[in-house]
Amino acid sequence: MAAVPEPDEPAKRKGSCTSLRSYWKPFKLLGILDVENIPCARDSILYGSLGSVVAGFGHFLLTSRIRRSCDVGVGGFILVTLGCWFHCRYNYAKQKIQQRITRQGMKNKLLYEGTHLDPERKQNNGNSSN
Amino acid sequence: MAAPAQLGLQNAASPIMEELIAFHDHALMIIFLISSLVLYIISLMLTTKLTHTSTMNAQEIEMIWTILPAMILIMIALPSLRILYMTDEFNKPYLTLKAIGHQWYWSYEYSDYEDLAFDSYIMPTYFLEPGEFRLLEVDNRTTLPMEADIRVLISSQDVLHSWAVPSLGVKTDAIPGRLNQAMVASMRPGLYYGQCSEICGSNHSFMPIVLEFIYFQDFEVWASYLYIV
Repeated sequence: MAAVPEPDEPAKRKGSCTSLRSYWKPFKLLGILDVENIPCARDSILYGSLGSVVAGFGHFLLTSRIRRSCDVGVGGFILVTLGCWFHCRYNYAKQKIQQRITRQGMKNKLLYEGTHLDPERKQNNGNSSN
Repeated sequence: MAAPAQLGLQNAASPIMEELIAFHDHALMIIFLISSLVLYIISLMLTTKLTHTSTMNAQEIEMIWTILPAMILIMIALPSLRILYMTDEFNKPYLTLKAIGHQWYWSYEYSDYEDLAFDSYIMPTYFLEPGEFRLLEVDNRTTLPMEADIRVLISSQDVLHSWAVPSLGVKTDAIPGRLNQAMVASMRPGLYYGQCSEICGSNHSFMPIVLEFIYFQDFEVWASYLYIV
């Protein structure tokens, strides 16, 4: 699978396009959450961090209690991350369904254009009869 | 197929696998948040100077740590059950394929066609062409049409095997004397690799599965070519 090196290429290049992935480990939060490749994960974590800082710092400014502010910060992180996550994943799922419908519609148009199964012809017949 | 040192799921080639990946992401985010909370609580426990040894009841905290886990479990269970019932849906299949496990190869029968059956042995390493994958290639690939619901009937001739193709989200046990059914559908053409997933003897690691999904017209040509041969 590795490409054969040209004569003037440096000898130390050994990776091919498939093996290079093993040199580039994905970044995982706590070793489990791959924020680069999971849709909506990066945004949720970033918004959660922002919410945590705002909630914790705001609580501290109001009460001057450090430990309780840290608790509020962690609670804010969890709630904001969860909220952003569900909101983003819901929109992502709607988008995927819409893409699938569009793709199927394009395929049907290509397949059936000009035939009696053409959906546009059926729609035009329906409009003209009305 | 999996890239070298890959830990995560493979890219989805079927709608079911897309749903499984989405559910995996959902469960992983919940696990990450719970782990963060537990780590924070541990750090609090280790750094506090307060001790309180005479607690007799703690109704509020007990309510919280009963109701909250129940809600989390419901949040995980609902999408999980949705996918479970989705995998059990059997739409009218276009084609039926029988996959029979043997020690140590798979045999495939296309019952809808007369006399269309073949064995699928692992390709030995010294027979591989450049670009082929060690321990994953077979001599006869299982060719199937893409964008069609295919029913796979899985059984075994001798011991337990398991027919698994990760990118299609399929893993079904091959049990002697029993016929298990799985539905397979690929959204795009290509080669999808899998391996036997139930210990079945010394060559358990050396009985791979290769599915070749092609366009419907090409599949008909392939099927008719096998008749002639």
